[in-house]
Amino acid sequence: MKFPLKILLPLILAAVVTMVFPTTRAAADEIKMVGVITQIDIAGPDAKTATATLTDNKTNESVTVIVDDDLTLDKFKDHRIVVGDEIRLKYEVRDGKNVSRYFRKTAGC
Amino acid sequence: MKGTVIVLSALLLAASAAQAKEHPGKASIEKNGYQGPSTCEAQGCHPGTAKSFLSTVHWKHASPASNVEGLEPGKEYGMKNRIYTMCNGNDTVNNLKEIPPNPKTGKTKFTGCNTCHPGNHISDVGSTGKEAENAIDCLLCHASAYDYRQRKPYKDGAGRVVMGQDRSVKAALSVGKPGVKNCMVCHEAAGGGVLIKRGFAFTKENDVHAAKGMVCVDCHAAKDHRIPTGFDPNNWANDGVRVSCADCHGEKPHQDEETNRHVARIACQACHIPRTGGALAKDFTKWTQGSDGFYEPTTLRMEANETVPAYAWYNRTVANTPSFIGPKGSRADRESRIFPFKIFEGKAYYDRKTGELLSMDFAPPMATGDTLAGVASAAKTLGITGYDPVPGWQTIYFGSSHLVTKTKALTCANCHAPNGALNFKALGYSDEEVRKLTSAALYFDKAAAKQKEDW
Repeated sequence: MKFPLKILLPLILAAVVTMVFPTTRAAADEIKMVGVITQIDIAGPDAKTATATLTDNKTNESVTVIVDDDLTLDKFKDHRIVVGDEIRLKYEVRDGKNVSRYFRKTAGC
Repeated sequence: MKGTVIVLSALLLAASAAQAKEHPGKASIEKNGYQGPSTCEAQGCHPGTAKSFLSTVHWKHASPASNVEGLEPGKEYGMKNRIYTMCNGNDTVNNLKEIPPNPKTGKTKFTGCNTCHPGNHISDVGSTGKEAENAIDCLLCHASAYDYRQRKPYKDGAGRVVMGQDRSVKAALSVGKPGVKNCMVCHEAAGGGVLIKRGFAFTKENDVHAAKGMVCVDCHAAKDHRIPTGFDPNNWANDGVRVSCADCHGEKPHQDEETNRHVARIACQACHIPRTGGALAKDFTKWTQGSDGFYEPTTLRMEANETVPAYAWYNRTVANTPSFIGPKGSRADRESRIFPFKIFEGKAYYDRKTGELLSMDFAPPMATGDTLAGVASAAKTLGITGYDPVPGWQTIYFGSSHLVTKTKALTCANCHAPNGALNFKALGYSDEEVRKLTSAALYFDKAAAKQKEDW
């Protein structure tokens, strides 16, 4: 049974890409955690990104994420979210960096 | 001529923008500092505003609720005293306080329903007099540079729990019309967490009005701090002023007359708010322990736009029983229109003897998970004795008036199709009517013509 080249070539390419860049797919995986903020670094009121470090409540490990959504950045800037707040966090790994996709305080009234 | 008009308009706009930025009284505030409402009322500015504010829902957390059945005539209802299963506590039984230490960690924290009250807690919900006037946190709603780190509860020298305020000159100099964050700092976290209660995010991604740069008070435009609200079946307290889509969009908002005819019996929200979100259900009889050792009511959370609403006739009067809070109305009632609702189910303790829902002080269960201790504490506060707690469920229909969309609004085919968005049978239509209402014959020619025009 023979496969035409135009079918075989994309399959081979896909296999090669998967082998060479094995982390690409893993990078899209979303990681969830709940943790307490230990540090927020933001470069001034016009900053477009910030980094937040949290201690995972389950593992006690420290996780640093890049935050780039406007709403959360604004909450950092006016201190609606501060060090000590507990956060429900979802992030993904992109190019070796943790990028926040969901950053919400667990508390409410 | 046209150019002159444009230049003049630009100059006027620039002048009004500059005026909006600099609130009068800057020099006085810089010189004397900001002392709260007395500063706002000084030099003839905003006279009597503080006293007037004490009679609003934002201060009283209650009002008469004439459209709700089963209430005591003359009594005011709201966060101050309501008992229902989204919150189960209220300002009275779940007053802001320091909870008992968690047995494992020994840690404690402050919590209470009235955390969002714009006073200092010494002058609390519904308080009156000069002290109350001076306690109003005007800047919480009006300052764009409010430092929210200041707004935390603490114990003063006398052991009283006080809610802090940012009364800095910096915050005072940033006063103006409330922005979205001024409202959302309280409203987005109501009901136990971000987007839990109402389940909407007022962001450009989720709401067409937010995408146009509008803020909450563009629609909820206050008159003497009385905030217009809609007729959410679960939002009883109101300032006696109302807001509706028609206030801006009129009764004939569409170019197509056939679509406009729908407005008589179908609320705008039914088509233009096809999604909802927030908590689906909560169990106040079983609290879940978090990794910090404290307990929270077990809650099923959904994102904004993650669920679909239920549709029902609503004549703006509210059925209110221990097991159901929701819209009254019917097809036969010409005051009724079809609205979308966010459905919520809550489990809590009822008194087996009376069938009435019992409320809960959150301090005991938050520390130890003991929910019956929370019921006992609330009963003690309310003077209820001899009750017999038994778990039960309550269904609540929340109004759905945000997450507005133009481009993703329901179209003819979404409703007028078998198994479409509307359950016509449940809405009171006969089998024959349902057959006609769920057929493409209703809109086929028009849709085909539009399709041809579009392509």
